[in-house]
Amino acid sequence: MLAKREDMILDELVSIVGKDNATAAKHIRYAYSYDLSFVTPKLPDYVVMATTVEQVQNILKLANRDKIPVVPYTAGSNIGGLCIPEQGGILLDLKRMNKIIRIDAESHYAIIEPGVSHAQLAMELYKHNLRWSWPVGPPSASVSSNALCHGIGGLSGRYGLNSEEITSMEVVLPTGELVRVGSCAIREDSWHSVLPMPQLDGLFKGWLGTSGVVTKMGVRVHPIPPILKVFTVSTHNLEDMTSYMVNLGNYEICDDLTGVSWWLSQVPIPYPYRPKPDGAPEWYCFGATYSWTKKEKEAREEIWQNVLDEEKKKGTSIQYADYPEEALKARTQLPSRIVGSTKNYTKMAGGGISWPGTFTPANKWAPVYNKWKEILIDHKLSPATRVTNYRGVHYGMLRAMIPFNKQSAEETENARHAIVECLKVDLDAGGIPYKPPVDFAAEINKRAHPGYLSLLKQVKQLLDPNDIMNTGKLGF
Amino acid sequence: MEWNITTLEELEDILWRCTACGNCKAAYNYGPPPEFGEICPAGAEFGFEGFMASKGKIAFARGILDGQLEWTDELLDAIYKCTVCAGCQNQCELDHKPFIPEIIEAMRRKSVKDGVGPMPTQKKIAQSMRSYNNPYQGPRRVRMDWTRPFKKAKKPIKDINKEPADILYYVGCTGAFNLPARGVPVATASLFQKLGLDFGILGEDEICCGSTAMRIGDADEFKRVAESNLETFKRLHEERGVNTIVTSCAGCYRAIKKDYVLSSEYDKIMGGITVIHTVELLNNLFKEGKLKFTGELPWKVTYHDPCHTGRHLTKFVIDKDGSQLWKGAYVGLNEEDCLYDVPREILQAIPGIEFTEMERIRDNSYCCGGGGGVMTGYGDWAAKNASKRIEEGMKTGAEHMVSICPFCHYNLNEGSRRIGSEMKLYDLVELLDQVIAEPK
Repeated sequence: MLAKREDMILDELVSIVGKDNATAAKHIRYAYSYDLSFVTPKLPDYVVMATTVEQVQNILKLANRDKIPVVPYTAGSNIGGLCIPEQGGILLDLKRMNKIIRIDAESHYAIIEPGVSHAQLAMELYKHNLRWSWPVGPPSASVSSNALCHGIGGLSGRYGLNSEEITSMEVVLPTGELVRVGSCAIREDSWHSVLPMPQLDGLFKGWLGTSGVVTKMGVRVHPIPPILKVFTVSTHNLEDMTSYMVNLGNYEICDDLTGVSWWLSQVPIPYPYRPKPDGAPEWYCFGATYSWTKKEKEAREEIWQNVLDEEKKKGTSIQYADYPEEALKARTQLPSRIVGSTKNYTKMAGGGISWPGTFTPANKWAPVYNKWKEILIDHKLSPATRVTNYRGVHYGMLRAMIPFNKQSAEETENARHAIVECLKVDLDAGGIPYKPPVDFAAEINKRAHPGYLSLLKQVKQLLDPNDIMNTGKLGF
Repeated sequence: MEWNITTLEELEDILWRCTACGNCKAAYNYGPPPEFGEICPAGAEFGFEGFMASKGKIAFARGILDGQLEWTDELLDAIYKCTVCAGCQNQCELDHKPFIPEIIEAMRRKSVKDGVGPMPTQKKIAQSMRSYNNPYQGPRRVRMDWTRPFKKAKKPIKDINKEPADILYYVGCTGAFNLPARGVPVATASLFQKLGLDFGILGEDEICCGSTAMRIGDADEFKRVAESNLETFKRLHEERGVNTIVTSCAGCYRAIKKDYVLSSEYDKIMGGITVIHTVELLNNLFKEGKLKFTGELPWKVTYHDPCHTGRHLTKFVIDKDGSQLWKGAYVGLNEEDCLYDVPREILQAIPGIEFTEMERIRDNSYCCGGGGGVMTGYGDWAAKNASKRIEEGMKTGAEHMVSICPFCHYNLNEGSRRIGSEMKLYDLVELLDQVIAEPK
């Protein structure tokens, strides 16, 4: 009797990674079927743990031959359902490829495998007095996945997105072919830069694992100045806060310049929505700045004081404010267990957290936020919103963290509906979502220029002729 | 006697508080310097997310409760391949945090109730408990074998059934029946005699505390022996003047301190009785100047925190009525019962001892791999995991590792043998017994 196709595929997967690293057992698949988000749980057909590049190549060759979807997975801690298999297939767990291959403390870059976590890299980098732009996420999350999906971190005000810090990559294409981009493509051990060659890294960044599996990544790392000063202010509205952040942003002195609404400054975010106390500022801001010397710190303080004075002269509601202690700790002592455990986000709601997470010009933050606030309050959800300057320019993150009670299908759907409605507002104002779930991808594609969509599909077809990589996540 | 032992169904609302964020998968502290390490023995060994920390176990629990997962041999195997060490619990900050070991054990209880659990080798434990009142299939008389050197030296240990004493030394089954761990009760009794403590033992009448049964989900067997023990403790208090129960076993200590309190009669029965770990008693005497060192031990050692005397004894503050945060919220924790400093204090006080710490210690201690029924169910893996801990100890440059749990004693020595290491695990009482002489 012929073996079932499923059994034959499992046998082949076992022959590639060994019997302990490939399974079709339902309880194992079930644990990969959901995440923090509102995205509907879906089961993969197989789960495979690879430990070498060759294994990844062989898995993708098999999947490409048999047209089986492949979902790359490191920690599964994104909040966009990005690792939930839309069409089943092979869930490729990369957590065991977790070597820090090299920290070049002289040239300031590190070479890592996909399973390297923020906690792991933080410990090793610190030995060299080096740091990475740690995101507000679980310490167990993957550094490379965050960077690939345009994550941000505590240095984004200074260096931009974490994806902009990628220096080189080794990638297995959906066909199983091994390629390299950046300086490591020219010399095996040279991982310092993606430039000045054509930026082929763009074929993999922001593609949500739909164009290949990154098996090695070079990232820039930076020294840790010894003196931290955090500038904290409050305003009664986002218009006034934006004015301050744009003004201070001009001086490019902050590693992280972030504003958060009252609801996000609470640990945890109130659920369901409750009004902020009368008289409490609606917006808080922290600007984290590091200095090498006391005089440098004083110079930075002088700039900040001048900006604060200027803003006051404009007649805005700005004032110096103490930022809520635990929230500040959670945002400046990164990686953080407080945010890592989602305590600050969803402890009160229970089980679920998603977002409209976007890149939006600063002059659109306030109008979009004001509409979000209406939508969210209407859904009995807190407008727990964050705005962050990127790299000193006047666009950046605009996102709202939306906790919900995942035990309740009704409350989950309520959150999903509100989030998608918020996203539409931002898209129509010129913002763009990052790490988007499929619901967002559909909204993006509705609005996209036909030429963009056509090019996207052509490139996808070129790299992934059988559409096996994280199938369905791009919304077409 | 009524017991407040929860079912998986009763925990359903609580386990939905988990976000699956994965914070539980690794031990991490901000520092600075940042500290990172593997914390989940099963996750480190088996890798798939289902095996990984509380995130994985809660996925299984949800699947069982929502009907997506039916009992299979593989599911059962995965649920029992957890040392219930609570390392994952230590990382979590959400409202289900206080209940994480409870959720895992409730799954096991459900499997036992449904007639599928525990694992075949662990079923022998339950059978042995019923036949011999201990998990080692040891006849009653063997329970006294460790006392032979005392009889031979004409220093008999009081039989508390016959003579009154202030202290009951509750030996525990591992110290009594597990040959390599017998040094623990021998050293304990020797020390107590040298210090002139008024203590006695139950001897052949001692029965298992029930810890192992509870850890593998056999709540009925746990209740049977626990009720018997509680009645014994009450009788000894009333009739033999016992005011203190001392144990050198981390498993017994955890069971009496944390599992027995689930009884509706606990406060009534245990009123006036103090339950204390041997090392805490000895450290108290040391601080009072009643324990004096007479010798030196020029050893370089490191210390392994057992799960059951450490983080398992964390007390969690829960907002029961919604007056602090909201009903059921995890508010904070209290580590006053966790024996982190006590063993370190007395260990470092031993003349000649050079003490060095491993990377993963105290609340982030890496489990030896023997807990949660794993030593019985998966002996090879338990020893393999213990080897990893021994290697961590060796990295410190220490010659030997010290701990305060006979389970860790046995398993870590197995782990050491497995990799041909010269490092040995000693119980702290074994060291103390060497540096405290007979009174003149």
